[in-house]
Amino acid sequence: MIKYRNIIFIISFGLLLFSCKKDDPESIPYQPIPYNIEIPFGFPTNLNIPADNPMTVEGIELGRYLFYDGRMSGRTHPDSLMSCATCHIQANSFECGIDHPEYIGGFTHGITGKPTPHVMLPMINLVWNSSGYLWNGFIYSENPDDQYRNIEDLVWMGIVAEHEMNSDTNLAKEVIQNIPGYPELFKKAFGSETVTVKNMSRAIAQFIRTFISANSKFDKYLRGELQLSQSELNGFVLFTTEEGADCFHCHGGYGNPLFTTHLYYNNGKDSLFTGPYEDTRDRYHITGDPMDYGAYKATTLRNIELTGPYMHDGRFATLNDVIDFYSHHLVWSPYINPLMHHINNGGVQLTPNEKANLKAFIQTLRDNEFLTNPDFGPPDKFPDGK
Amino acid sequence: MKLPKNILFLIIASSLMIMVNSCKKEEPVDEQEKQKIILSFGFLVDGQDLQTDTMIYTNEAGNHYLINEIQFFISDVTLHNSNGSTYLIDEWKDIHYVETDIPTTWTWDVFDNIPTGNYNSISFTFGINEEKNQTLMFVNPPESFMFWPINLGGGYHYMKLNGKWLDKNQQISPFDFHLGIGQIYYSYPDSITGFVQNYFNVELPNSAFSLGKNQTKEIKIIMNIENWFKSPNIYNHDDWGGDIMQNQEAMFLACENGHDVFTVRFIY
Repeated sequence: MIKYRNIIFIISFGLLLFSCKKDDPESIPYQPIPYNIEIPFGFPTNLNIPADNPMTVEGIELGRYLFYDGRMSGRTHPDSLMSCATCHIQANSFECGIDHPEYIGGFTHGITGKPTPHVMLPMINLVWNSSGYLWNGFIYSENPDDQYRNIEDLVWMGIVAEHEMNSDTNLAKEVIQNIPGYPELFKKAFGSETVTVKNMSRAIAQFIRTFISANSKFDKYLRGELQLSQSELNGFVLFTTEEGADCFHCHGGYGNPLFTTHLYYNNGKDSLFTGPYEDTRDRYHITGDPMDYGAYKATTLRNIELTGPYMHDGRFATLNDVIDFYSHHLVWSPYINPLMHHINNGGVQLTPNEKANLKAFIQTLRDNEFLTNPDFGPPDKFPDGK
Repeated sequence: MKLPKNILFLIIASSLMIMVNSCKKEEPVDEQEKQKIILSFGFLVDGQDLQTDTMIYTNEAGNHYLINEIQFFISDVTLHNSNGSTYLIDEWKDIHYVETDIPTTWTWDVFDNIPTGNYNSISFTFGINEEKNQTLMFVNPPESFMFWPINLGGGYHYMKLNGKWLDKNQQISPFDFHLGIGQIYYSYPDSITGFVQNYFNVELPNSAFSLGKNQTKEIKIIMNIENWFKSPNIYNHDDWGGDIMQNQEAMFLACENGHDVFTVRFIY
C-alpha cells in the first residue's frame, strides 16, 4: 500500500512539474508542424519555397500576426503604425484598390508620403512564381546579391524603404521582441525567442505563400461545377485565339491556370525608353538586354477587376481602358515583344460587343472565396491581446 | 493417400525453382553494362550560329527577318538498328522541350540504357503525337507555357518560333510562327468542324552510329532555321502575316518544310 502511495506521489509531482513548465517560454518544444500546400487542379507542382524556410503551421500563424501588426514598422504610436496590410488588402486581392480613401486612385505612398515607384502587384499565387518578383524581376533566386532573392527579402525591404514603412530593422525587431506573446510564437516557429528580422521575414513569407486563389467562377467551370454564360464563353474564345484578343500567350488559360507566365514583355505602351523617358526600374535595368527596354511583368489576371490601376505605372484606371488599349492604342517600338503581332494595326481591333464579352470572361476569374477567406484575414487579437 | 518420397521431393524442388525464378524477374538489368546517348541541340541560320534579335537574315522569299526566340518539343526519338529492330527512347517519359533562352534544355541526357549495336539512323516526332498531346499533361513551366488553347485543338504548341520581318510596307512586324494542332473551319474563325494533327516524323540524315559496351555517344542535332521558309515551299511572311495558329494552310506548308530542317552536326 505504501508503495502505491509513493508511486502516486511521484507521478503527481511529475505532472505538477510539467504543468508548471508549460508557461515557461524556454520549455516550449520546437516541433513545428509541416504545412503542406494542396495543389489545385491544373496548377504547377513545383513550388518556390526556399530550402531554408520550409512552411510550418507555426510559421504561418506568426506570419499572419506580423503581416497585420502595424508595430512591424518599429513604431508604437497609433498615428505612425504601418503593416503589410496597410496597403495589401485581402478584399482587393492584396492590393490597395482604386477606391482606397488614402491612396487616391490606387497610388500608394510610404508613411512619409513618398510615392511608391510603381503601382502594386497582386499578392496571390506567388508560391508558383519562380521568374522573379516586382515589375522588373529584381528579386530573383540567382541574384548575385543574396539579399534580393525571394519574398523573404521583400519584407525587410518594405520595412526600410522610404516609400513604404521608412523604418529601421533594429527598431522593428526591438518593438516586436518586447510585445508579450511574440517571443513564444518565434520560439514555436523558429526555435528561438529572440526576434530577428530574418525570422520575421521568413514568417511573413510563409504566410504570403498560403495566398492561393483557385476557386473562381472559371475554375468551377473547368471542374464541371457550373456553366458560363454565352457572353463569358465568347470572351474565353476571344481570350485564347490569336485572331481574337490574343491574351493567352502571356496571360495563360486552361493549360496555364496561373493566368500569367510571370515573364516580362514590352507590350506596346510607349515608344521611347532612354534619356528623359528612361525608367530605371524596367526589365532592361535587370538584364542589360536592349530587347527588355520597356518590358515589365505580365500580371496574373485572377481577381484583376479589383487590382486597378493597371500597368506598372497605373496609367489605366479601369479594365475597359486596358481592353481599349490592347484593341486600338498599341505603340510600336523596336523593343516590342514579338507576341504583340497586331502592333502595326494598333491592336487586336475588338468590336464593342467583343470587348464586353472579353471583359465578362475576365470577370469570371474573380475568386470571392479567396477574397473573404478568414485564414488570410486579420487575427481577432494580436499575441499581446490587443 | 501418401505420395512417394521421390515425387514429394520433385514437387518441393519444382516449387522452389519456380519461386527462385519468379524472384529473378524483379531483378534489375545488369548495371555493369551501361550504354548512353546524350542528345544536344543547336540552332543555325544559313550555316552560322543563330544570332537572336538582329535583322541580319533574308529568307528564300526575300523577307529580311530576325529571330527572337524558339521553343519546341521533340518526342518519340527512335534508334533504327541495322538488324531491323528499333529502340524507342523512354516513350511517355521523355518528350523533350528545347528553348533558345534556356541552356539547360539544349542537352538531353537520355536516361535509358541503350542496347549495344550498329544503328543506321535516328528519327523523331517533331511535336507530340495525338495520343500523348493532352492538355495539362505538363503543369510546370516552361513546358506548361506551351499550351495550345483547348478550343483550337488543345495539347501543346509543337513550336513557337518568334521573330520580326521587314514587311512589304517597310515596317518591322512581329511574326509568331507557331505550329500545333490545326483547325478546319466551317465559317472562319468561329465554327470549327474538325482538327488536324500536324506533328510529323523527321528522319535525320547521316545519323548512323555504333554503340559499344559501356560507351556514351553525344549526338548534336541542329535546327537549320532558314529551311522552315525554304523547301519545298517558299514561305513568304507577307503572304501569311504575323500569326498562323488558326491558319491550317500556312501550318501545312510550314510542316512540309520541317522535314529537312534538322540535321546531325556530329556524333562522338
